[in-house]
Amino acid sequence: MDTVAEKTLLSELSENQRAVIKKCCAVGALKQKLLDMGFIPGAEVLMVRNAPLRDPVEIEIQNFFLSVRSTEAACIKVTPL
Amino acid sequence: MSSSESSGKIPGDIPSMAPKMIPRMIHVAVAGQPNCGKSTIFNMLCGMNQHVANYPGVTVDKYSTKMRHKGVEYTLVDLPGTYSFSMFSLEERVAKEYLLDKEVDVIVNVVDASNLRRNLYLTFQLLELGKPMVIILNMMDVAQRRDIDIDVGELARILNIKVVPAVGVQQQGKEEILDAIAAAATEQISTPFRVNYAEFEPYIEEIEQLVPQHETSRRWLAIKALEGDELVLQRTGIAPEKISSINDELHARFDLDVDQCFASIRYQNADVAFHRCAKQTKAKRSTITDSIDRWVLNRWASFPVLAGVIFLIYQLAIVWGYKITDYTWPLLAWVRRIIMGFMPDANFIDVPLVSEFALWMVNSTMALLNYLPIFFILFALVAVLEGVGYMPRMAFILDRVFKRFGLHGQSTLPLVLGGAFVGGCAVPGVMATKGIADERARLATIMTVPYMNCLAKVPFYTLLLGAFFATSMSEMMFYISTVTLFIALIIARLLTATFLAQHETAPFIMELPPYHLPTFKGVMLRALQRVWLYVKKVVTIVLAVAVVLFVMLQYPGVPESSMQQIRAEADAALQTFDAQAARTDLHHLVAEPTQVYALLNMYDTYRSRRMQTRSAEQLEALNAEFQALNPELFILVQGEGSAARTINRALRNLERSGKQLRMQIKQEKVSTSYLGMFGRALEPLTKFSGFDWRVNVAFLSSFAARESAVATLGSIYEQGKTDERAEQSIAADGSYTPIHAVAMLIFMILSPPCIATMVVVKLQSNSYRWMLFATFFPITLGIVASSLFYTLATTFGWSGIEMMRIFYVSVIALTLLLALIKPRRANWEVGQ
Repeated sequence: MDTVAEKTLLSELSENQRAVIKKCCAVGALKQKLLDMGFIPGAEVLMVRNAPLRDPVEIEIQNFFLSVRSTEAACIKVTPL
Repeated sequence: MSSSESSGKIPGDIPSMAPKMIPRMIHVAVAGQPNCGKSTIFNMLCGMNQHVANYPGVTVDKYSTKMRHKGVEYTLVDLPGTYSFSMFSLEERVAKEYLLDKEVDVIVNVVDASNLRRNLYLTFQLLELGKPMVIILNMMDVAQRRDIDIDVGELARILNIKVVPAVGVQQQGKEEILDAIAAAATEQISTPFRVNYAEFEPYIEEIEQLVPQHETSRRWLAIKALEGDELVLQRTGIAPEKISSINDELHARFDLDVDQCFASIRYQNADVAFHRCAKQTKAKRSTITDSIDRWVLNRWASFPVLAGVIFLIYQLAIVWGYKITDYTWPLLAWVRRIIMGFMPDANFIDVPLVSEFALWMVNSTMALLNYLPIFFILFALVAVLEGVGYMPRMAFILDRVFKRFGLHGQSTLPLVLGGAFVGGCAVPGVMATKGIADERARLATIMTVPYMNCLAKVPFYTLLLGAFFATSMSEMMFYISTVTLFIALIIARLLTATFLAQHETAPFIMELPPYHLPTFKGVMLRALQRVWLYVKKVVTIVLAVAVVLFVMLQYPGVPESSMQQIRAEADAALQTFDAQAARTDLHHLVAEPTQVYALLNMYDTYRSRRMQTRSAEQLEALNAEFQALNPELFILVQGEGSAARTINRALRNLERSGKQLRMQIKQEKVSTSYLGMFGRALEPLTKFSGFDWRVNVAFLSSFAARESAVATLGSIYEQGKTDERAEQSIAADGSYTPIHAVAMLIFMILSPPCIATMVVVKLQSNSYRWMLFATFFPITLGIVASSLFYTLATTFGWSGIEMMRIFYVSVIALTLLLALIKPRRANWEVGQ
């Protein structure tokens, strides 16, 4: 059921790019946390900026701003807008 | 799935609430998401009258208060801020357990009006608990500024519970909140809004039947059980197999994932509810926050800003705090004088044990209390940084570096407070580790903060550098102050790869909240609470240790043979004085030994008091005071008139030899004391580092408070020549070379935390094992490292400065090497 569009990962977005969440592929505690923070299918995200050392990224979702490590952002599949 | 269908229809399992009696004490739990202004509301409700403790078994702060409102008594507990009730963090666990186990009469849910939709996610879950609930719509002013227009009445209608608008920072809404709590506690419960979980409803009902009778609503327990919540499964005794079979069935029938659907349904409901009661014209984070972040989180500007903030903390707390201690110290000295005034006076060389003990205890206490101004400023600054919202940004900027070494972005502040660059204190540093979400990184940070540059180590460094490296002092100081951070990184990396490898880690998902000006009252309250915690926990234990050290330094005492010799010298000195006094016509004033002792004590007191006078008037007042005390002896103290002058001169000589003899007693006492014996016993072990028993004793006594190292070393070396400074005597002593000094420096850099730090390590790690580890690991490491470098230096004939340079370069090389090795994967895994 993977289409080409679904292959984009949240961690691959460039600064100021918007996307819609397709799927959250994490398991366990990370999955629960991501869901609680609003990473649910259909939600719109904005990649705000990279950290100065590139690694954590700042993401806007559900009207709030989160710092997420790229390894964690990599388990969310999105469709860029 | 829409909220209109599901609101207020099904009476279901709401606990039967016949018209209620007014309970004698109403238990209120204040819950809400992080950054919703919950603590501001809590502070507004209870003011100064709050009690801080830990939740049982964990290190999460529990703020509670008791209060009266219109004749009814209330207990309010401020639950930690949580986004949800999953098992993600310690805070969530604590909040959930509290709501599950304690008899909570009313839940007060603080909601950030400017972030209503997201906050409703938690509100819905709280409503499922089936307890009387009140919503406080906080930050109404912020919502207005962001053009969010909320129809409070409509929100109350949708949720079918009382909603009180408030502005916590302006203290608006206190009476209304208390009235609403009172009403919720006594009125018959209505049926609040409830989320309809569509396809899941039959399953929820099925599990509800399995749940035994419980204080909490069965529906909530059933939902949590379905989500696979371990705590709830444990409490309700539902088999996890049952849940997984339901999950599989759901997956097969509807292709639905339980966790994902629950979250989605809650967010959709929140969305519907939000749109029905609120109008938002501008869906943006505050533009102020955006423009600040453009600089603060900017690729280039972020580091200078961070450096600026750290510098400001240092300047305000350490530099200015130290200046404040110049003013508070005389106050402490005054207290000491008062206390010592009650103690029996010395009889020349015989100082009563009780006086010596009192002086020791008072000095130990003062050494700690002296830091209170610095701590207060540090704690207040931390509270400001927390309130403003800079802390998570600090973590955002530096996470990548710290992650490499098993630490966390949030380790930045504890390390800075501990003295990462310029000197600090491990006590506030370890206390600031509280907020780190990742348990493994938190423990690693607690273990590494004590390696930072402790302020009290500085006198020790200056003593040794002054004695052996007078010409290259700044180079040495640079090595000492910068090497500590690298050592901390190495140790963090080693710990997380070994002892801490199996510890829980958590994903780094952290909100970057809008910037917020904290209230003055909130900051002061937090700082005072933390200072009080320090006084209560730390000072008491340090005093207990001080007693032990006193005994170990005091007994078995000076051997009789030496004592006889000292006494003979003392008698000789007294006889000389008497002979000189006998030649004057004032001899009758000092004919008896007791008169001589009194004169000596008066002379001492007068001299030390006179040194503190700043003006002629003060001196006059002091003279008048002593004049009134004993006019005859005072003439001798002042030495006015030829007879008095002769006695005064003799008195000075007597005083000087007395001081020398007392010093000799002290030295003999330390050298033969239990601590001295212990120091000698350690010599076979420490000889590889070049430490003799004197150094060992200094390090042992530095355990109570670091300042003691210098004092002890100084007193061992001061050969009674009072005009010579300690560094001169140590350098002149000849038994040490610069290589010895570097070995001592290396040991001190790595050396164990003081008792105060150990106490907070125990508090924050909540384990005696970690406390012991934090004590003995650095000692071992210090001995090993100093022995290694001492042996290398003696083998290859390095000079002291070469030895230090090689040590420095090795540490940095090891750090870089470890940075290149990638840490193992976290123990939460990323699925496919």
